[in-house]
Amino acid sequence: MSEAKVVAEIKSDWPANTTRPDCAVISLEGVCREYAGRGDVVRALEDATFSIVAGEWVAITGPSGSGKSTLVNMLGCLDRPTRGELKIDNVDVASMSSTELDRFRAEKIGFIFQQFHLIPYLSAVENVMLAQYFHSMTDEKEAKAALDRVGLGHRTGHLPSELSGGEQQRVCIARALINNPPILLADEPTGNLDAANQAIVADLLKDLHRNGHTVVMVTHDPEMATLAQRRIALSHGKVFCHPVGGPIVTLRR
Amino acid sequence: MSEPSTPGQYHPASKLSLVRILRRSLVHRRARSISALVALTVSAGVATALLTLYADLDNKLHKEFRSFGANIVVTATANAVLPPDTLSKVQQAAGPAALTAPFAYAVATTDTGTSVVVSGTDFAAVRRLNSWWQVSNWPDPSGQPSPALLGQRAANFIGDEHSVKLTFASKSVTLNGTGRLKTGGDEDSRIYMPLEAFTAWTGVTPSVIEVQISGGTAAIDTALAQLKQALPGVQVQPVRQLVEGESRIVDRTHALMYAALLLIALTVGVSVLATLSASVLERRRDFALMKALGGTQIHLMSIFLFEALILALAGVFVGFVIGSAAAFAISEINFHTATLPRLSVMPLVLLLNLAIALLAAFFPARVLRGLQPAALLKGE
Ligand SMILES: Nc1ncnc2c1ncn2[C@@H]1O[C@H](COP(=O)(O)OP(=O)(O)O)[C@@H](O)[C@H]1O
Ligand SMILES: [Mg+2]
Repeated sequence: MSEAKVVAEIKSDWPANTTRPDCAVISLEGVCREYAGRGDVVRALEDATFSIVAGEWVAITGPSGSGKSTLVNMLGCLDRPTRGELKIDNVDVASMSSTELDRFRAEKIGFIFQQFHLIPYLSAVENVMLAQYFHSMTDEKEAKAALDRVGLGHRTGHLPSELSGGEQQRVCIARALINNPPILLADEPTGNLDAANQAIVADLLKDLHRNGHTVVMVTHDPEMATLAQRRIALSHGKVFCHPVGGPIVTLRR
Repeated sequence: MSEPSTPGQYHPASKLSLVRILRRSLVHRRARSISALVALTVSAGVATALLTLYADLDNKLHKEFRSFGANIVVTATANAVLPPDTLSKVQQAAGPAALTAPFAYAVATTDTGTSVVVSGTDFAAVRRLNSWWQVSNWPDPSGQPSPALLGQRAANFIGDEHSVKLTFASKSVTLNGTGRLKTGGDEDSRIYMPLEAFTAWTGVTPSVIEVQISGGTAAIDTALAQLKQALPGVQVQPVRQLVEGESRIVDRTHALMYAALLLIALTVGVSVLATLSASVLERRRDFALMKALGGTQIHLMSIFLFEALILALAGVFVGFVIGSAAAFAISEINFHTATLPRLSVMPLVLLLNLAIALLAAFFPARVLRGLQPAALLKGE
């Protein structure tokens, strides 16, 4: 089956998704992202049109270089579309100044990174408090409770270098949760973890989803992808989207 | 502010503040912090030492030149004498701060038949004006009558220095030499005596008035103009060599000091720039993460600028102490005088260090502005 055929096939299903724009916590309309390369332009994302509704768990899959990170970065307001309209919580990202966008990000988005990205000179609890610091007020009790929730209540004073990879990722999840953002973005959250830690992180994500968070997760791992309700597949910057509540199918190429 | 004292323990009410973030960052990244602190301490220390020495030297130079005698001479035109009221007119025109001393000259013969230049003057005035003269013993104003100062060459052909017999136009006087005079110049072959006794003996009145104006070239030029105006018909001349020499040396010293200061500020500025830039660049990811967590440009800049500020201030305090000690040691070794710390140089040192820190902050600030969190934080 050719790519074009896949697109045509999926497009016929789209109305199921786009008929519920009122519930959409994330919606894209013809979103493109191009990088100015040497001489030529790299199209990392082409004409992406889809929505994600509140409380959904979506997996973004695709081979390396297909534009997954590009997409997630735009959903996280770390990057802006070159063209097209991106709305987060019904606010057009293009209408915001970069300072407003910083503020918006602190309110709406919790990030979970593949490389954890903890500040090396701050302890676990301080790393969690850093998200509070940029959001509003810091509260060590609350930060500690968040670490408790990810099973690290006894390691709050440790530096990232004193924690294992799995523990660091759990600190990262606690940090993403601390301001209770509606959307959680996870770019390869288990990419650097062993099976045991992957299971712990998967359980945490399940928990979060159950508690009503919208989870958008990039993953290479088919097993992780099956946890999601829906999959958005990317290939060469093109989006192959499954409708809300639709079956999860593996793309044949 | 409280914080966990050991890992795993913490104060319940503890907050994460800018101060806590900065302290963590400065302590954890010790090597980087210390190298930036050293650079900023060096800049403050060198600036303190130079400015302290400079202020001291400036004082010394002015004092030295002040003690270097007259910088203006008032003389009668050829073969004439000065009008009797010249001295008071000179004092009036030059101002009360100016030092003046009259000199009258005559050639007398000693009892061995040698000719010698005798000068009548006001010892008290000369002593103040020509304080650089090396005199073994100045005449005591209330002491013996007919005192005299003998130039050291003149003294060589005089038998009894306490009874110097001189003849001028067949009138004789006997002077009591109280001490010897050494200047290295013409004064060494003269005999100096009180003006009143000199005029009574020779009938000659002053033909030269030496004037010393304190201050720079501008003050001297003003005084020159005033004297010329007040005293038509007499010659008013600057002691050119000395006046120009003085300002040239002072100007050169100024220029040298400023050039040295600028050069050091530049060198240190570049090294602080390199250190601070590296310090930000190596934390690009941290700053990108902070941006992802909702940190604004102002948040990020404040972390970075306060860090530079803290280091600059610490550098000023440590540098001031070290620089003052260096200035003390340098002047002790070279001039054998104590140069004490001057708090008055502190503001300038502070300004210099802050300027360096801010200038050095400029480049990393640009890096921060162009920071692409997406590019720095992406997976794989
Ligand atoms: N900053 C950038 N400048 C230029 N090209 C980029 C940049 N970031 C990503 N790309 C390109 O965009 C495409 C998609 O990249 P990315 O979103 O990182 O893919 P993925 O995360 O799926 O591996 C790739 O071809 C990549 O080379
Ligand atoms: Mg990626």
